[in-house]
Amino acid sequence: MKKERSKKYRVIQAVRILSQSIFFILFFYLLLATHFPGEDYIGRVEVFFHFDPLLAIATFIASRAFYASFALGASTVVLTFVLGRVACGWVCPLGSFHQFFSFIFKKSKLLKPKKNGDNRTAWKYYLLIFILVGTLFSLDLVGIFDPLSLLYRSFVASILPAISVGFSAFIGLLYQINISSLGDSLVQFFENLAVNSVFRQGFFLGVLFIGILLLNLSRERYWCRYLCPLGAFLGLISRWNVMKLKIDPKKCIDCWLCTIHCQTQARPYPEEDWKSSECVYCYTCSSICPTSAISFPVKSTPEEIVKVDLSKRKLIFTALLGIAAIPFFRLSPSTRRASPKLIRPPGALPEKKFLQKCVKCGECMKACPTNGLQPALAEAGPEGIWTPILVPKIGYCEYYCSLCSQVCPTGAIQELAVMEKTKIKIGLAWVNKNTCIPYNLGTPCIVCEEHCPTSPKAIKLVKTEVKLPDGTIKTPVAPIINTDLCIGCGICETKCPVVDEPAIYVTSVGESRSETNQLLLDIIKGEDELF
Amino acid sequence: MKRRDFIKDLALGSLLLKVNPSLLAQDKNAPDLAWIQGDSPSLITREAISSLGGMNRFVSRGDVVVVKPNIGWDRTPKLAACTNPEVVKTLVELCLAAGAKEVKVMDNPCNPARRTYVRSGISEAAKEAGAKVLLPNPHRLKKMALNGEWLKEWRVYTDFVEADKIINVPIAKTHSLSRLTMGMKNWLGAVGGNRNQLHQKLDQAMIDLASFFKPCLTVLDAYRILIRNGPQGGRVSDTKLHKTVVAGVDYVAVDTAGATFFDLGPQELPYLRVAHQKGFGETDLEKLIIEKRTL
Repeated sequence: MKKERSKKYRVIQAVRILSQSIFFILFFYLLLATHFPGEDYIGRVEVFFHFDPLLAIATFIASRAFYASFALGASTVVLTFVLGRVACGWVCPLGSFHQFFSFIFKKSKLLKPKKNGDNRTAWKYYLLIFILVGTLFSLDLVGIFDPLSLLYRSFVASILPAISVGFSAFIGLLYQINISSLGDSLVQFFENLAVNSVFRQGFFLGVLFIGILLLNLSRERYWCRYLCPLGAFLGLISRWNVMKLKIDPKKCIDCWLCTIHCQTQARPYPEEDWKSSECVYCYTCSSICPTSAISFPVKSTPEEIVKVDLSKRKLIFTALLGIAAIPFFRLSPSTRRASPKLIRPPGALPEKKFLQKCVKCGECMKACPTNGLQPALAEAGPEGIWTPILVPKIGYCEYYCSLCSQVCPTGAIQELAVMEKTKIKIGLAWVNKNTCIPYNLGTPCIVCEEHCPTSPKAIKLVKTEVKLPDGTIKTPVAPIINTDLCIGCGICETKCPVVDEPAIYVTSVGESRSETNQLLLDIIKGEDELF
Repeated sequence: MKRRDFIKDLALGSLLLKVNPSLLAQDKNAPDLAWIQGDSPSLITREAISSLGGMNRFVSRGDVVVVKPNIGWDRTPKLAACTNPEVVKTLVELCLAAGAKEVKVMDNPCNPARRTYVRSGISEAAKEAGAKVLLPNPHRLKKMALNGEWLKEWRVYTDFVEADKIINVPIAKTHSLSRLTMGMKNWLGAVGGNRNQLHQKLDQAMIDLASFFKPCLTVLDAYRILIRNGPQGGRVSDTKLHKTVVAGVDYVAVDTAGATFFDLGPQELPYLRVAHQKGFGETDLEKLIIEKRTL
């Protein structure tokens, strides 16, 4: 008998790698393209997320509202129902990323693939159940674990910023050795990419992401095989799997190569062990087989429902654990008082609704032209980790920009036309007279007033008497806020020349989206005339 | 060339080197200020330059020229927060026609440069005319000796210092500290560092910066001026159509002329008064030859 690897499946494998590369490049391109495009409106750069049925379902259940763009997710569902988890093997950019590193680790002998399987593949199903149970009670944790959110967020808030910092250092070197013309063109190119390079949790998110990559040192595509809740979800709905693994017993030499090198522990050998719900149709087994014994003929009988060893006990336990965990996520002081630093981007839904919809992907943080949108740490409570908040110390909300609202894939930030956006208050500015330069030193400043974008300006300059340490009195103009006009954009705080702790700062009070986080009762204004 | 001529030229040349370059550009027949009014921003700009003796007077063949408009804010031209794009475009065209090797257009804005460059219309207009439009490059910031009265040194974009000629193209606007922002205030957009601290002695900072950069020509865009809520405005009603440009070598005189559009004079603008005292320019418009015309 001729011993030869299957040509057909090696071609299919090559096509699969091409497909993965194309989708990864597309994902990365859309990510890079998420910045001010030269006009007010940006195209649907967030479209990748809409093909993710897990995000669709989780936000649907958590918010009890369907977001129309997620209809695209149905195509993934149908695809998976008929063909199995091809989306994992051929499309998912995080899957490709993991596979690439697994490949590198394998080639460099850092990872030695093992023959024996284990039942850790069940973890991802438990995680999925944990997440979905939460959504029933409007606790939306899906964004933390969803592969697209994870990848996008990590790239935006950590990987790209790190590249940007490294690149900048490299350019600095070019100037030092006097190749400034090359430096100039590189700078212009890079500035036009508009990569936001300052993120508060950049290091932390980077460690997490690289940690997840390093898991591939233990098992190939570790994340996909043990952890990914989207993979679990697709595994559950893969039903028909019309391409069925078949091993020709006459050709098979029982070498175990297919099972050893299976990317996701679907165990193609022995044939009866094959788990269609774990198979991502990467065709590694059929192309690696030294005797071309493995094929995937089309057969239209449905698979048995989930061949996963999920014990009923553990299922119920996970669900109960999920329910028990919910109140822990809500142990946040923000239930008593609005958090002053919880300044949401304009168009953000009221906080409760917002948390039910935000998937923590980081699209808005990528689109923000000033780098002001940052992942929250504790400001929004445990369930709000990595949701976007404006940190005016870093960057402010650009007056004529509504990009964040346009790129939000779930409608957690409602899409706004630019003119609508300029009318939304996201907070209010306050002067700290203890540190403000004119109020203390009698020295002129006016920087906050100069930058205030509203017309008329929300910051007024008023002559103020200031007593200096030597007893003399000066009367500089000093800033006073008109809270009716202030929209809380924070440019005053960003630009304040008091460099360490800006003497003017924005807090969330007065935000349009909240009924309760208000300074004055509106009723009083109207009734003034009665008295 | 005879040896005698060579020595003569050399002596003359070395004498002239010590003189302010703007004096070199002085033309006995040309007016001090061209003050042109008309419906087309581009035509009045063209007319102003030709009244001053043409761009050849300022730009020589092979020069690298930096044109410095005000591109400070994310505002469209009708809001008059940035220099009129047509004026900038015309100047770039004139520089290239005069034989400039390269014309760079740049500013260090207050809002993100990628937005202000586009939304002000200046990026597109200047590129159309053949200019190189440059986003501010932090690697080109260098601490330099300004030797000013107050600013001894500051971080400056070297593009301006390395250029053969600098042309300042400000827009006339109100400002709550210097009262008006025109040519001399425009230089805050050529520097980096913590610029916002310059406001603590803004008038002096403006004088120090203007006398450091020494533009060979200042063209004040007063086509649409900002009369309220400066320096950003925000509503068309904050602006006033004035349809004028004022151009000249003497930047103090240009700003003084611009101040008249707001009914202000050197007595209300300390920076003009001090600049005049220091000998940087003239604030008495009576003493100047002004070519005033309406197209």
